[in-house]
Amino acid sequence: MSNLLLPARTAVLNDLYQKDTATVEEIMADLKCHYGSERQFTKKLFSDHCMALEANGMVELTGYELDDGGELQMKYTITEDGKNTVHKYIAKKYQDE
Amino acid sequence: MNSSKLLDTQALAESKMQSLNKSFHITGIGNGLVSGLTYGIYSTLVVVASGYNPLASAAGILAAPFVCSGLNDFFAGIWLLFYNAKQGRLKELMRTLRTRPGMMLVIGFLLGGPIANGAYLVGLSLAGAYAIPISATCSLWGALFSWIFLKQRPTKRVVFGMLMCVVGAVIINLVKPEGAPNFTLGVICALLAAIFWGAEGVFSSFGGAMIDTDVAVNLRELISGLVSLFIVLPFIGGGMHLLSGTFAAMTPIYWLIASGLSAGISFVCWYKANSTVGTAVGMSLNITYAFWGVLFSVIFLSQALTPTIVVGSVVIVLGAILVTMNPLDFLRKGE
Repeated sequence: MSNLLLPARTAVLNDLYQKDTATVEEIMADLKCHYGSERQFTKKLFSDHCMALEANGMVELTGYELDDGGELQMKYTITEDGKNTVHKYIAKKYQDE
Repeated sequence: MNSSKLLDTQALAESKMQSLNKSFHITGIGNGLVSGLTYGIYSTLVVVASGYNPLASAAGILAAPFVCSGLNDFFAGIWLLFYNAKQGRLKELMRTLRTRPGMMLVIGFLLGGPIANGAYLVGLSLAGAYAIPISATCSLWGALFSWIFLKQRPTKRVVFGMLMCVVGAVIINLVKPEGAPNFTLGVICALLAAIFWGAEGVFSSFGGAMIDTDVAVNLRELISGLVSLFIVLPFIGGGMHLLSGTFAAMTPIYWLIASGLSAGISFVCWYKANSTVGTAVGMSLNITYAFWGVLFSVIFLSQALTPTIVVGSVVIVLGAILVTMNPLDFLRKGE
């Protein structure tokens, strides 16, 4: 990824664009190398990003289950609106990485 | 895993999901209501601040409102910097500014910040609390601009709500209050504020959904404050002199630091409400600021309560709610 990082919420959408479907934990694992050292890198904030993207129609909740620790794992899938937004507003160099 | 244990786990997951959805919805509604209340407080505190010298005796109609709106937004931006620093999001500010949606938002901020906030405070200083419900017609303009520029046709319900906003504004203007220095000009300024706030919303349609709203609001307040104070104010006769005089007096500064805190909380909650319960419900709850603003002005600022402001405010708020949502949906969701 470029030295100039995307804003975190944009990076979450971009990650879902590349993977199509992922849980919050999987998204965080993908982004850990870039954002992992920042204090904002918490499950609460990244869940908020996913839920806000969902409320705006960019992604949809396609499943949920409990993990071994009894924590709720939510799985999100990017929507057509989300894909169009990535095409239109995220620079190509980020989309391909 | 045996089948009964699997069913138990599924049931537990479902109940956890339901309670998460419920708390998400309740938090969203709570945020919307708090945003309306704190916007009413902000509107009142700014009027209190402008009652102190040198703001109270400032010459012209523009200098004092722009000093107030610039300082209020700047202080709100500083409060929000503390908030975002605590969350570890300061780097997000520059990252957001470098994206195209971020740049489009900034154009919207310039319309909604220095221009609309400035006009709103000029309106408040000239027409008193009457400016507050007039400015609540912003949802009418937002729907109108979406129709013109984004080709989003309004439904019959939205058009009816728009007409109610207009009728409410006309009712408020039927009787000119005593003591307002230039009532009609004040109402026109409040209307200009509503138009530019409506236009601001249109600029968030260009990818704004993938921007963190807490960061966007921080940028909005900082940009609005800095542009008002250092780009607009120097062109207003006596503006910079009034700014330094206000700092020397200090008392109005304390009030503006408090109003900036209210405005910051209001915007953060409003955007949070929009991204949890949807813009329609969020905006409808935020619009309750017209009630709070008028109520606080009557209680704390000796604003006369006339039948026209009461009826007009109610009609505008109901109209604005109709523009943004179907009240029946709200009741159904509540179930």
